[in-house]
Formats: sequence, structure tokens, C-alpha cells
Amino acid sequence: MKELVLIFISTVLINNFVLTYFLGICPFLGVSGRLSSAIGMGFSVIFVMTFASSIAWLIYHLILVKLNLVFLEYIVFILVIASLVQIVEMFVRKYSPSLYQALGIYLPLITTNCAILGCALFMVARNYNFLEAVVYGFSAGLGFTVVLLVMAGIREELNYCEVPKVFRGAPITLITAGLLALCFMGFSGLIRA
Amino acid sequence: MKDSLKYNLRVIFVLTFISLICGFILSFVFNSAKAKIKENQKKDIYRAIYQIADDCKNVEEKSINEETIYWLFNDKDELIGYAYLSQGQGYQGKIKILFAVDKSIERLLGIEIIENVETPGLGSRINEESFKSQFKNLKTNVPVECVKFFPQKKNQIQAITSATISSRAVVGILNKGIQNLKNLIEENDR
Amino acid sequence: MIGRIFKEGLWTNHPIFRQLLGMCPTLAVTTTVLNGISMGLAVIFVLFFSSLVVSLLRKVVPHQVRIAVYTIIIATFVTIVDIFLKANFPQISKALGPYVPLIIVNCIILGRCEAFASKNRLSLALLDALVMGGGFFWGLVTLASVREILGQGTILGYKILPPSFNPLIVMVLPPGAFLVLGTLVAIMNRLERIK
Repeated sequence: MKELVLIFISTVLINNFVLTYFLGICPFLGVSGRLSSAIGMGFSVIFVMTFASSIAWLIYHLILVKLNLVFLEYIVFILVIASLVQIVEMFVRKYSPSLYQALGIYLPLITTNCAILGCALFMVARNYNFLEAVVYGFSAGLGFTVVLLVMAGIREELNYCEVPKVFRGAPITLITAGLLALCFMGFSGLIRA
Repeated sequence: MKDSLKYNLRVIFVLTFISLICGFILSFVFNSAKAKIKENQKKDIYRAIYQIADDCKNVEEKSINEETIYWLFNDKDELIGYAYLSQGQGYQGKIKILFAVDKSIERLLGIEIIENVETPGLGSRINEESFKSQFKNLKTNVPVECVKFFPQKKNQIQAITSATISSRAVVGILNKGIQNLKNLIEENDR
Repeated sequence: MIGRIFKEGLWTNHPIFRQLLGMCPTLAVTTTVLNGISMGLAVIFVLFFSSLVVSLLRKVVPHQVRIAVYTIIIATFVTIVDIFLKANFPQISKALGPYVPLIIVNCIILGRCEAFASKNRLSLALLDALVMGGGFFWGLVTLASVREILGQGTILGYKILPPSFNPLIVMVLPPGAFLVLGTLVAIMNRLERIK
């Protein structure tokens, strides 16, 4: 139990996927402009990441390791993620139209989100057991969402600021992200080994 | 209707065919490189062993419970100690360290960092001699501790300035490894 | 056509500074110039061979599953690079760590395969891959140089700033990556406006 809590806290706050591993930067820069779209994207990522991490664990340990095919890891993972996203999309559309309306347009974008593949690869590299892998996937998604929401909040305020012309658009967003990363470094003392 | 069936078959055929070819190419590349990758890892470990224990002349590998332990012998073919590879999480990613202990597992001979992806210029300074040499001759009956300033007790080492997390991670991985090694050797003697 | 490919890839449509693609390796591995160079070369290799295969297969692959096919092809070449580095350059492989497999989801590669290689003949596709890869490469090296010089006072490991220079540690840490890239993009915007 203690292990799981440690994984949770360190993945959400200390080793945040976006701010320390730079995973999922593309959607992070893309959809953080408005709070409403950030919420939709964030929840889709939590959803897919938890599933992707668990299924990748099962496939890696029950199929690839048993058959000595570990070198196919990358191909298999990316295909699993792509098909998973498709299945989730179809499933949500069929059984929960309201959820589909909220997440629908973000789901296809997730396939190219490197955070999902990164999550699966890190989970394997750290030798997690199944339960840890599930918690890891969930907390990585949650960490992504937290940062995405904070960023969207800041950027909505930024609209009312006088930004120098050359810094408008991408540069000021990147610099804001840098300052946010600096703030999150404050969490690094949270857990004492 | 017939057209769509034909189209679907073509989709399935193309996907299967391409996946098969890719799988074949990869297995071929992997098999031709496998030996070399293994050899590289082995070379790293042996280099580290000879660095730590300079009177070591001969190394024997033995696996207990699917874990490899390196038995170190001197030039008179006497057992002088054991070496063991331990790994865990650092600040940015995995850290692998190799350590060696004397034959009674009471004294640490030293450690070497085999692999780390810590921040260059900060955490990666765990690779520097001034940090690693602190571990020489520490007692292993109590866990090693990592302090920020001026170690006072015999089992303490000083963390690298502004890289406390990486230093602590090394100490944690080392303590875990020593415990593992003790259990494995005990099992072997039984 | 050829002139346009060069101009776009290296400057006006620069993958990092203009399109903001492939951010993950750009920010993560540019702590030292050596890492930047190795990542740049790995991306050029994968981009070149993926474009080659995609361009050759452009009339065979059914439209609906093209992205899946491109992904398989890219993943294959990335695995080859990964195995090659592990076997021949273990030090570089260790330094780049998990960011080698993440080349698969580098949007530059999929983007070029989809937007260019799948629509053009082989020679143009290969040229475009090399030029875009070159653009990515110089972007990485610039970013890495700034970070290594300011963060450690060295370049490729050689000390170039006097010992009295106090390294700005934040530059090699994650926040530094964002700050430097933000500033570089702003500088590019400024240069563009002068013209």
C-alpha cells in the first residue's frame, strides 16, 4: 500500500510527465488555450492511460516475455495504444453519448500523444507489478491533467496581458511552462528516500 | 457490397504483410546484435569490478535464484569477496550500481555507477571519484546513511550539493542491494 | 521545388522553431551538445528510411489504414536504431535512455510521411527527409549549446568559460529547457519580422 501511495504522489507531483519528462508537450501546448477543452483532453488522457498501462503490462509480461519477443516491444505497444484508442472511442460512442460529446474530438488526438507510449515504456523499465502499473498509469494521466488545467487557467488570464509582440503565441506559452516547471520543482523534497 | 469486401481484404492483407516483414527484419537485426549487447553489458560490469577491487584477478559468475553474483578471487585463487549489481529509481530514471563486499560481507570494498540518466552537471556527479570513494571500507552491518553536511558517524556519507535526491537514491539502491546479496549468499551456503 | 524544400525545412517552416513539432526529445535530451547531436542523427536516420519506404509504398497502402502502416514502419526503424546504439554505442544509448523509443511518436516523422513522402516521388521524398532532419538537427544543437554553455560552462565537455563563471544550474534542469526554447522561438520571430 505504501508503495502505491509513493508511486501516486511522485508521479503526479514530483516526476510530472509534462514538466520533468517533457512527455505530451504537443497536446499540452495545443489545447491549453481554453479551460473547457483542457478538461476534455485531461479526462480522456486519464482514461486511456490507465487502460493502456494495464493492457501493456499484460501483453508484455504474459506474451512478449514468455515468447522471448521483447525486441518487438515498441511496435506492439504503439499498435496496442492505437487500437485501444479506437476501441475506447467506439465503446464510448455506443454506450455513453454524453461522454462521447465531451471527449469525442480529443480521443483520436491521443494516439500521437507521446505520454501514453512513454507511460507504457517507463512502466516496463521500472519492473512494476500489475497493480503498480495500473496506479502508475492513472497517476501519470492525473499529473498531466493537473498541469494542463493549471496552464489553461494561466493562459486564459494571459489573454488580458500586454505581451511583447515577438513573444506572442508559442514563446510566452513555453516560458510560462518553464516557470510552472520551476514551481513544481518545489515538490521534489516531498518524499525522503 | 462486393467491392467493400474486396477493399477490406486488401486492407487486412497489406497490414498483415507489412507487419510480418517488419517482424522478420527486427528479429534478424536483434539476433545479429544480441551477442554484442550482452558482451557490452558484461564488459561494463567487469571493468567496474577490477576498478573496485584491484587485487582481484579472477571472477566467477554464479546465479542463485536467477540473480547473478560475481565471486572475486585474488592471484592465489583465494576468495576475496562478492560483487553484485543493484538497480532502482533515481531522480530522472534508472540507476544501476555495482558494489563489492569482502568475503564475510562485513565491509564494503567500493561502488561503481554502471548506468544513470541523472541531470548532467548535477545528479550525474554521482559518477565522480570524490563521491564514490566515500563508500570505500564502510561497514555493512548497519545501513549506509546519506547526510547533507559533514558526516560524523562511520556509516554516513555526504550527499552531493544540489543533488541530494540522486545521492540518496544511490544509497537506497546500495542498501537494498547489500540486503539482497546477504540473503542470496545465505541461501547458497545452506 | 528543390529550392522551396530547402528554404522551408531549414528556415521558414522549421520543425522546432516554427511548427513546434517533436517537442519531447527537443526539450528532454538537449542537456548536453553530444546528446543533442546523437538524437539529431537518430531522427535523421529514422526519417530518411521511413520516407523511403513510405514513398515506395504510396500506391499500395489503402487510404484508411495509412497511419497504422506508417506507424509500424517508423517503429521498425526506431527499434533498429535502438538495437544498433545498444550494440555499438552503449554510452550514447544509456545517455538517451527512454527517449530513443519515443522517436516513434515524434510528430515530425509521422508528419513528413503523411504530408510529403506519401504524395511525392522517391527522390523528392528523400531530399525532404534529409532537409527536414537537418533542420531538426540544427535546432537541437543550437538549443543544446545554449543550455550546456550557460548551465555548465562547457561545450562538448570542453571548458570554454573562465572558472569565475558561475554556472546557471537551472539551464540543465527541466525549467531551463522551456525558458531557452521560448526565448529562441521569440528570437526567430524577431528575425522573421526584420525581413
